[in-house]
Amino acid sequence: MDSRQWTRRDLLCASGAVGVGALAGCSGLLEEQSTNRNPSVVENRPDAIYRPSHVEGMEMIGMQEAGGRMVGLMYAYAHRFWTLTGSVTELVQPGGDVHLMASIWDPDSGTVLPADTGLRFELTKGDWSAERAPWTMLSQNMGFHYGDNMALDGEGTYTVTVETGAVGTERVGDFADSFGESATAQFEWEYSEAARSEIPFRTLDDAGDPGALDPMEMDMMPLSFAPSMDELPGQVLGSAEAGDVHFAATVVSGDDGDAIAVSPRTRYNGYVLPAMSLSATLDRDGSTAFDDILTQAVGPDLGYHYRASVDAVESGDELTITTDSGPQVSRHEGYETAFTDVPDVSITAD
Amino acid sequence: MGRTDRGVSRRDFVKAAVAIGGTSALSACLDREGAPDLDTGPEDLSALPARQHAWNESLSRDEAGNVTAARHHVLLLLEYAGEGTPSEDDRETVEQALRGLERAYPRSNEGLLFTVGYTPAYFDRYDASLPESVDLPRPGALAPFEDPKPDEPDALVHLASDYGQVVLGAEEALLGERETLNDVEVSSFADVFEPTDRRTGFVGAGLPAANQDVDGIPDSEPVDEDAPLFMGFKSGFEKNQASEDRVTIREGPFAEGTTTHLSKIQLHLDQWYNQDSRYQRVGKMFSPAHADEEKVEGVGNNLGTDSGLDGDQDRTLEDARTKGMVGHTQKSARARDENDSPLILRRDFDSTDGGEAGLHFLSLQRTISDFVETREAMNGTDVADQSAVGTRNNNGILQYLTVDRRGNYLMPPRDHRSLPRPDP
Repeated sequence: MDSRQWTRRDLLCASGAVGVGALAGCSGLLEEQSTNRNPSVVENRPDAIYRPSHVEGMEMIGMQEAGGRMVGLMYAYAHRFWTLTGSVTELVQPGGDVHLMASIWDPDSGTVLPADTGLRFELTKGDWSAERAPWTMLSQNMGFHYGDNMALDGEGTYTVTVETGAVGTERVGDFADSFGESATAQFEWEYSEAARSEIPFRTLDDAGDPGALDPMEMDMMPLSFAPSMDELPGQVLGSAEAGDVHFAATVVSGDDGDAIAVSPRTRYNGYVLPAMSLSATLDRDGSTAFDDILTQAVGPDLGYHYRASVDAVESGDELTITTDSGPQVSRHEGYETAFTDVPDVSITAD
Repeated sequence: MGRTDRGVSRRDFVKAAVAIGGTSALSACLDREGAPDLDTGPEDLSALPARQHAWNESLSRDEAGNVTAARHHVLLLLEYAGEGTPSEDDRETVEQALRGLERAYPRSNEGLLFTVGYTPAYFDRYDASLPESVDLPRPGALAPFEDPKPDEPDALVHLASDYGQVVLGAEEALLGERETLNDVEVSSFADVFEPTDRRTGFVGAGLPAANQDVDGIPDSEPVDEDAPLFMGFKSGFEKNQASEDRVTIREGPFAEGTTTHLSKIQLHLDQWYNQDSRYQRVGKMFSPAHADEEKVEGVGNNLGTDSGLDGDQDRTLEDARTKGMVGHTQKSARARDENDSPLILRRDFDSTDGGEAGLHFLSLQRTISDFVETREAMNGTDVADQSAVGTRNNNGILQYLTVDRRGNYLMPPRDHRSLPRPDP
């Protein structure tokens, strides 16, 4: 799906016209039901993206516009995931009742937004309440989102408040003056175990093989795809792949002069890879024209990317990108062994 | 202590009684704690220190030599009951009430420790301004991701003791609900001050474990019996604390005073205990090196009088970029003065007010700017901007805290503790 074909009007119409739950199982991949919702972790997992033990759907709770952005709220079965610090992954066993997820995106461009300044969930049901700062996450069928397993207070009607947080990441292009303030979206959610049990789920025969689940085919909600090479703005330098990360690099002009922009994305699905620590050098005729860290930024054309100001990039310059640490986001199954030790890549400007 | 003991355990009961307050709670405390045979305070009060905050000398110390906080605390937020500016009679009423507490109990953790502070809103009652030697802005948000409500009563009284019955008794005496304390006649300031909020808490090994059946902490009772605070680790290491000298105002009419910052913080420890590993908890609380090198045993009593940073604070950005997380202690230790002293003196404690796991973060510092600088170091926004560490995720312990309220207070020297003018 090309997330960039969205218009604001399409999104708003669609979200208004389609009721809660209409999106369940929209991937089309999910055909059978199973009572075993957490098959064993695949044995002998490769240090790479791999096909997970199972694929499951999710249920859309709702979508709303808040503060100029769209907020989507979804849930799935509570399932295991891995938190990550540096290159250390820690298995989080399934706990609670559901896996609650949110995604925030720009309705005009369909760009999924980082909400690193404190996205929070607050759930209330009568006197019961729970609050959570969910993890930033990456999953094979959804890409970059926010989520966590949560315990609920049984069946019934919940009010779920999503506080988006401000987009603290540097905002460039048409995003420069947007998303600087937090916004709040509130959802009513009728939760029942029966409805949850209808979420499709099936195990995979090729679990453990290199590869990834196909992205969900969502009609309403864009996924966090990085722009294709053809869509990249500026003077595209080229691309290189290492450690299941596909790095695309371009030089863009802005108010502050030129900047190198690096857009890393997952092999297979092309999702943006947030929360990496990247640095780069630019070698020109044996001398170093640039050597510094790249910082995170987001814009409507480049999506989530990493950048640094440079004086100029000349033909023949060799850009070397170093991954000081891979994406520091929690991983759904099939991503937890990937991107932890990414070799340097080099791209030579034409 | 198992959950089945809840309500039976002496200290658990005392904690609950402090949280509830009132005469029945006090008598219940007396039943449970017994009536410790406490000395009374001095008849001649002239030898008491000029600094209200001079507590360290009279607090006990642990084996390593760290000052040990008093175990039970009550904070009273007070409104001046009159209109406009207080009268000399009001001042006298307050002073006599405070002197009564001093005569009733020795000034120690086994007796009673207390302080009184005043907000910028209080000083706004006067036409005159505070002198330039006092840095006391109105409270506000101190991080891009928080939206605290300001606490703006007139005054704050902080009562502390190892005995719940002592803080409760002192509170009752101040509010006019009893006339003697430890067999000493006392008076009340209830005609002058009306309480607008009451916050309670506790700190010290055993108390968090005994009181973990609250919102914000998983049902698995994860808090260690040795933990002095809900998050499971020791804090307040001698070398991470500013000295009382360092936080004391040096010049002007409020010399020998200090400032208090008090924030009310909710703790959300489901992820902390259910999802983070010990490796991650140690790394996020102290530093990645603490986690990698397994420097922390249990709650961290093995660390001695400092948190064992060994320069980790200077590697904060490097750790953020290569380890994917930075420690709370590591980040915060970047706020130091030219003599390598921390800028703030923590006197914080945990709370179960409202049935929620919380932290009343009370700190003393010479200027509120010193607090702001320390909090900015703790925010680590600079680190998040330049690394994979998130604004809150993997950024110390920020992910597990919500700051609900903030307040700033001037704590005058003892001579001016009762309804001071801004230009005494």
